[in-house]
Amino acid sequence: MVKRGKIDIIKDILIVIRDNNNHIKSTPLLRKSNLSSERFSTYLQDLLNKNFVKDSHDQKGERFLSLTDKGFRFIEKYKTIIEFIDEFEL
Amino acid sequence: MALTPPIPRELINVGFGTEIIYSFVIILCSLIIYFGTKELYELSSYKGIKYFRQAFLFFAIAYFFRSFIKFILVYFNTNELFEVSPRILFGLFGQITLFIFIYFSSMAIFYLLYSVMWKRLNKNKNNIYLFHILAFIISTISILSRNMLVYIGLNVFLLFFVIFIVSLAYNNSEYKKKGHNMYIIYVLLLLFWILNIFDVLIPKFFENIKLIIYLASCGIFLMIFYRVVKKTGSN
Repeated sequence: MVKRGKIDIIKDILIVIRDNNNHIKSTPLLRKSNLSSERFSTYLQDLLNKNFVKDSHDQKGERFLSLTDKGFRFIEKYKTIIEFIDEFEL
Repeated sequence: MALTPPIPRELINVGFGTEIIYSFVIILCSLIIYFGTKELYELSSYKGIKYFRQAFLFFAIAYFFRSFIKFILVYFNTNELFEVSPRILFGLFGQITLFIFIYFSSMAIFYLLYSVMWKRLNKNKNNIYLFHILAFIISTISILSRNMLVYIGLNVFLLFFVIFIVSLAYNNSEYKKKGHNMYIIYVLLLLFWILNIFDVLIPKFFENIKLIIYLASCGIFLMIFYRVVKKTGSN
């Protein structure tokens, strides 16, 4: 199995959120992201800091995660980023 | 302070016009590459893209100052910038411009090299500071020695160093099997960059093939520009 790079992991996490009606709690997201809890926390914090994901509370007061416009833009541009890196051997 | 000489006829003939058009094309290509990849870097924070973009920003800055050096050479109708006395205001500007030109051109080469090598090298932030120090040393030696051969020698050494590093990277690369040719384009870019340096410091050296060098340099920049625009969707 090919080891995932940082950009691939970010894309996978964002796609899980998007495919879950852009509304998911952190525990199922951890389970679906196939990462250790320590790495997941690091990535989640990174995504929150970069404003790819926002942290909100629903009517029951439960915490959930959803994508921002920048997060959607990342998914949209993911293929371009990978192809660009490959094209210029960066 | 010496009086400034009248504007010579060479300044307004086709030769200087060609220089301006040539620099304009390269600067435009470099800036479009830099700004066209802004979003990809902002989204990915990928270091390879960061160094690649900065290399072209440095190329744009270096070519801008190259144009100014060419202007001084034509204005004083001289073959060497070092022939213009630094005691004349334009001569002093010339020396400062040459320092900036050498500094940014060295940085452009270092950053382009680092953009393809950063994953293989020790991921140490100090590498960047090392490049700045090296570029500063190269610029200082070139200016203080007041000898164009010293700077040309340094750049030829740099070219062989780059070819050595790039060939090592290419031989260990998975892209070799895929038939990618970007490494060859990078080496050609650096080769024509060295020829441009010869052209700045000894304009008469390539008198007869100057246009070919300019066209080839433009061709390489346009090739990279085309690939960037194709990949980024010309945003």
